[in-house]
Amino acid sequence: MSHVTMTQNEETRVGVFVCHCGSNIAGYVDVAAVTAYARTLPGVVFAQDNMYTCSDGGLTEIKTAIKTHALERVVVAACTPRTHEPLFRDACREAGLNPYLFEFVNIRDQCSWVHRLEPEAATQKAKDLVRMGVAKARLLQPLEEQEMPVEPVALIVGGGMIGMTAAVNLASRGFQVKLVEREPELGGMMLRLDKLYPTQDDAQPLIQQRVAEVRRSKTIEVFTASTLHAIKGFVGNYDVTVRDREGRLSSFKAGTVIVATGARVFTPHGMYGYDGERVVTQLELEKQIADRRLQIANCNLQPAVSNLKRVVMIQCVGARIPERPYCSRICCTTAIKNALELRELNPETEVYILYRDTETQGTRYEAYYTRAREAGIQFIRYSLDHPPQVGEGRVVVYDELLGAKLGIPYDLVVLSTPLVAQEGAHELAQMLKVPLDEHGFFLEAHVKLRPLDFATDGVYVAGTCRWPSHLEETIAQAYGAAARAATILTKEHVTSSGVVARVDESLCRGCGRCVEVCEFGAPALVEVAPGIKVARVNPVMCKGCGACASVCPTGAMAALHFTDGQVMAMVRAALLNQK
Amino acid sequence: MTNQAEGFQPRIVVFACNWCSYAGADLAGVSRIQYPPTTRVIRVMCSGRVTPGFILEAFRLGADGVLVTGCHPGDCHYISGNENAVVTVDKTGRLMNVLGIEAARLRLEWISAAEGARFARIMTEFTEQVQALGPTALKDTTL
Amino acid sequence: MKKVLVIGGGIAGIQAALDLAEMGIQVHLVERLPTIGGRMAQLDKTYPTNDCSTCILAPKMAECARHPNIALHTYSEVTALEGDAGEFRARVLHYPRYVDETKCTGCGECVAKCPIRVPDDFNMGLQQRKAIYMTFPQAVPQVMTIDAEHCRYLQQGKCGACARVCEAHAIDFEQTAQEQQIDAGAIIVATGYDFFDPGELSQFGYHQYPNVMTALEIERLISASGPTEGHLIRPSDGRPARRIGFIQCVGSRDVRHQRFCSAVCCMHSSKQAVLAKEHDPQVESFVFYTDFRASGKGFREYVARAREEYGVTYVRSRVAQITEDDIHNPIIHYEDAETSRPAQMAVDLAVLATSLIPRPATTSLAYLLGIEIDAYGFIKTDPFAPVDTTRPGIFAAGCCRGPFDIPESVIQASAAAARAAAINI
Repeated sequence: MSHVTMTQNEETRVGVFVCHCGSNIAGYVDVAAVTAYARTLPGVVFAQDNMYTCSDGGLTEIKTAIKTHALERVVVAACTPRTHEPLFRDACREAGLNPYLFEFVNIRDQCSWVHRLEPEAATQKAKDLVRMGVAKARLLQPLEEQEMPVEPVALIVGGGMIGMTAAVNLASRGFQVKLVEREPELGGMMLRLDKLYPTQDDAQPLIQQRVAEVRRSKTIEVFTASTLHAIKGFVGNYDVTVRDREGRLSSFKAGTVIVATGARVFTPHGMYGYDGERVVTQLELEKQIADRRLQIANCNLQPAVSNLKRVVMIQCVGARIPERPYCSRICCTTAIKNALELRELNPETEVYILYRDTETQGTRYEAYYTRAREAGIQFIRYSLDHPPQVGEGRVVVYDELLGAKLGIPYDLVVLSTPLVAQEGAHELAQMLKVPLDEHGFFLEAHVKLRPLDFATDGVYVAGTCRWPSHLEETIAQAYGAAARAATILTKEHVTSSGVVARVDESLCRGCGRCVEVCEFGAPALVEVAPGIKVARVNPVMCKGCGACASVCPTGAMAALHFTDGQVMAMVRAALLNQK
Repeated sequence: MTNQAEGFQPRIVVFACNWCSYAGADLAGVSRIQYPPTTRVIRVMCSGRVTPGFILEAFRLGADGVLVTGCHPGDCHYISGNENAVVTVDKTGRLMNVLGIEAARLRLEWISAAEGARFARIMTEFTEQVQALGPTALKDTTL
Repeated sequence: MKKVLVIGGGIAGIQAALDLAEMGIQVHLVERLPTIGGRMAQLDKTYPTNDCSTCILAPKMAECARHPNIALHTYSEVTALEGDAGEFRARVLHYPRYVDETKCTGCGECVAKCPIRVPDDFNMGLQQRKAIYMTFPQAVPQVMTIDAEHCRYLQQGKCGACARVCEAHAIDFEQTAQEQQIDAGAIIVATGYDFFDPGELSQFGYHQYPNVMTALEIERLISASGPTEGHLIRPSDGRPARRIGFIQCVGSRDVRHQRFCSAVCCMHSSKQAVLAKEHDPQVESFVFYTDFRASGKGFREYVARAREEYGVTYVRSRVAQITEDDIHNPIIHYEDAETSRPAQMAVDLAVLATSLIPRPATTSLAYLLGIEIDAYGFIKTDPFAPVDTTRPGIFAAGCCRGPFDIPESVIQASAAAARAAAINI
């Protein structure tokens, strides 16, 4: 073929694609100059710029160029490999190129977006980064992926409404489920609720129905009063150990993990005179209401026995303040729910809700807010500049709308406090190697388009351990996480990465440093001749971190795709050949 | 280019782990937080992949600074790779001492995927730190 | 093999289709327009990360096109349904594109030659497109469509410029609508939403005053790929808009129009104010709101940054009216909630955050599918079975259920996929 004869020294043929990303890159980086510069780099036989390299059209252009220019390596200078690498690798694969012969250069997130005031420097940096990418690309080697069997078992951590809903859905599709609940009873936070908004339905029938479904299922194994003790492995193939309160351990295999551990209600110690008696939380009020209703039912009392004349609810207690800036989403509707119940118990009870913004989005919750006002519940807006003062028998509040100070006598003050991170979230996050956000809620892979995934394959999140959410939303999350887990569980195999470690046995002297440093048990020493040991890596267990290669004294261990030669080439390209 | 601290644009090589620090760098971008264009990031899967050889090669070729970034202790995607990075950076620091390279030209930092602002701040601070040191002495002699 | 019919190719339909396809279920994804992508494709950036909308959406669109388990039916509509859960039979009508999808390469030669210009709906009519067009550059499939209503050849029998320049011979004026039966065990409805026409609120002068625009129009203006390449200019005189007033709840939380809250406007106005400032540091933005609703993940932090770093001013108020002065500056008349006094502010541009409303076609689709709609015209669902419609085997996700932001829509889409996968035997 002509391209072979063209390059007598068998120089690897590299193609470079530079993305404008609309104006996200092109607005600050001279894309044409970067493309022209790429053409001057050793090995580059083709370079072009695209408005959106990731579009169907852009991908087609890559595939066409691989064929027409006989490209052996592809470099895309665009956004970030964290979102787009699979797409371009697939394009290479579809054009017959091993997907690992692709290199990504980030000239958007780490260049155009962070040097917006210095377009020339940004352009120079983009050129440098492209030079580094091309230098590495020339040394890339085709890698093979391993197929690993999937254990069709889901581990669900958390046996509340969300964990159980996900469990029932997955079980109905024939998957085995291991449901682990820390408390002795299934049900979670919902066990403590009286009514549900926005319907005022009783909470207990709904949760008990779900418990019954779980208990009835033959494919759901429930571990109550138990916690996750250890988990090792990878997507499709986790080794899980669960520990109960007596210290007994149970081990099993699982293919995916759903985290649904819920949240805790913030206790407002030292705030607004909180004493658990005359000043209580919404959850404590909810218990009082439930008890009262029980009393009414048992003693055949008239409904209007609640002797509360005036109840004042204060919203955002411990939320939307400097040390906890977020809005907990569910407190406005929770307050409305309990306010409606108080009015139901005794229509004479006056309820005042002191709020900052009513968080009643959408159709159902706005209608609920309207219903509350129509039921005679008084809403009074306060601002953080003048927080309400809970005094002896009176709450003093500056009404923002009236522009005047009001004194409201009360029998009971109810504090609406936010959901905060669950106890043990940090330990669980460390065990699963998944991140938490700054508030201690689990941090998903992408806030917009991967809301239920972690960056780690095969691990998913649902419910209030992710963020305070309405029950309606968390049920959707439960089903959603079940769907995400099922995308793994339905497959017979998942394909491992080709990015693993590999030993050159001719260089290995069997010192075992790699075995010591590996957390995953991937390398092992094997006796190949009497008294002669070498290391071998199980590619399925290897996660490709490269720690073994770093400690190998002889250079026998290669971290594929990040070999010494490839990284060194990038270091050199970063510092040499400055133009 | 002059040797005056203000005009001196250092060349800094940054090793960033794929899971935390590289993601933190992306978040700095998504948040449009500006920092000096002095750094060139090399992505590795784990900060534990970085070797003294990589760092010393960068200095040999005239890098004014090298920054190794990884997940916070306990957050490593590979459990303990970042602990290996601590060992590597310590060891390399001792070698740098022998070679006469100022210790302050090498730094190890933990930056999580949620810390875009921290990534940008560290890039800015380290740039200033290296600017204060001036260009590396190795730059002119080895090339 | 299991089959599911997904109606609507916006982000919710795309996510549901991808989840099902990855579960090994055959998906028929039916989209009314020539491309999938939906409303999200029209957005410039998304809050709270300011991720570029196209950047995160385009890979998912491309994945839909590539996935062996997904059959895309763009420019198509469901016209009839028979059967029940587990064995639905839908009729799908494919409208003629007059372009052979298998031949068109999307090169755009035809577009350059087409003599007919018509308002571009994708860009809210703020620029024109040709009678043969691709909706936006990342469209999936990457093929052209002829707008028959405006095509000179199809209307008058003469022209044919596109056919002459097409080297792929993809233009086919003889194409006719095709009907197809699709069997499916379950159906997911993800038909999205429409925007309230603020012309119904004459006090805001939307149709009278050139510098009163809607949020989606502004979104196209601030988009780098939009009609002004990201410059936020006043339609009246082309001058940059430096002082912008965002009016919240236009048509929402209003007993005469939509009683509900549109859920996303507080945040998208904040986002637009931030983007405008990023584009032009001289911009000053004012958001006129009644309750500020921002309870999603990272939202309060975003708003704090908008206020502190981007200087966005939030005015708790009730806007009564917009008038304009002699140079077309909109004048916002409002009652300031802090002082309870009437006040006025002249701005360069007033942006109306209009309600997200049910698509008019949702009612007829619901009738056709035998599912109920709620009091507002959205698909009716139960708060404790959120993606189940009133008919077994039919599920709903995203803004056809009510106003939701993107992550909520994506979550519901995955949820609907789980429910459909479980029902469908």
